Amino acid sequence: MDIPLTREGVIASSDQLPVFPRLVTQILATLEDPDASLNVLAHYIEHDPVITARVLSLANRAATHRPISSPVSDVFTAISLIGLSQVRQTALMASLAEFLNTVAPVAKRHYFWEHSVVAGVGCVELAPYATRPANVDAALIAGLLHDIGQLWLARFKGDAFRRACSDSQLFNVGIEVSERAIFGVDHAQIGAWLAINWGLSENIVSAIAGHHAPDTLADEPLVAVVHVAEVLSNALDITGNAESRVATVSEPCCAMLGLDWGEDSQQLFGRIEARSRHALGFLQ
Amino acid sequence: MRTRKLYIPIAEATTGMVLAESVKDSYRLTYLPSGLTLSEENLHQLMANHAEFICILAPDERSDAAVADDTAAATQRVRDIFKGADLTQPMTAALFQQVLAYRSA
Repeated sequence: MDIPLTREGVIASSDQLPVFPRLVTQILATLEDPDASLNVLAHYIEHDPVITARVLSLANRAATHRPISSPVSDVFTAISLIGLSQVRQTALMASLAEFLNTVAPVAKRHYFWEHSVVAGVGCVELAPYATRPANVDAALIAGLLHDIGQLWLARFKGDAFRRACSDSQLFNVGIEVSERAIFGVDHAQIGAWLAINWGLSENIVSAIAGHHAPDTLADEPLVAVVHVAEVLSNALDITGNAESRVATVSEPCCAMLGLDWGEDSQQLFGRIEARSRHALGFLQ
Repeated sequence: MRTRKLYIPIAEATTGMVLAESVKDSYRLTYLPSGLTLSEENLHQLMANHAEFICILAPDERSDAAVADDTAAATQRVRDIFKGADLTQPMTAALFQQVLAYRSA
């Protein structure tokens, strides 16, 4: 191990990262109270002009097909037009995508951003498959943040992280294996430490921690959702990234989601691809 | 004319497109059947139901040779992505086959 990392060291340097978006923790706090969430959600969104603009832009695209198409200019109308859950997911996605963009070093920005969005969309599609309830919005957050540990490594340990990436290609092993050889921990563990520090819920922390080694945690639905979404984001190659690789898909995770990869998988793939293209389009 | 199934975001839906799969509401009840040619009113229905995507039959104007070339390239790309995968594992092998079929379609 060349550069051992500790939880204390990771958390200490995370002070140099941009502030974690408050909107995400605010929305998470409303999830348990669906009756109150309409007003509260609109209030939170309206306090962020960038997110408000994203939500209104999406609503105005939808309004193209309305019989009366005056421009949508407030969050309440947007919610009535495209639905509460889509507005909430749009706000989460725009908020976290902007955060990831500011955290990522320029050279890796495009890849991380696209990969995270596709994994997040995959999580939204897969959450309803879980044989035990998995909250869709928590799944989206976990999917968007699952590789945040890699962003930390790229930002604070750039040279060593590049070596881990090239070792991974050279020896045909997973990036997490190369990272553990160099840092003693992998990006999944680093991401989990950061998620705890940001006050994210236990199931999101577990999902980030377990996305490369999910078998022992596969009875937690969100772990299975994020693992399979991450595998599909690489398998479907929606972003056309040269680094896309699949090593394995966890059998216990597939069982948790009731997936046997029969012919009906084609519909799941198509939905993930269509929604990913839509999300990547409106977030650009 | 040859066609192929395509999933598209709802923002790309236009009148005249033909549905390859029925569209269901949040209660899983079909409100637009497969084979339907979309009208302006159908687009309103999709919006009213907050649909996010549809599956259409898109005209495929590629020549046979172009289709064969595209299929070969897509197949090779999927094989590259799964190059290090353990295909003795039934789930990984099944996923590989389905992705291959999806990209070769």
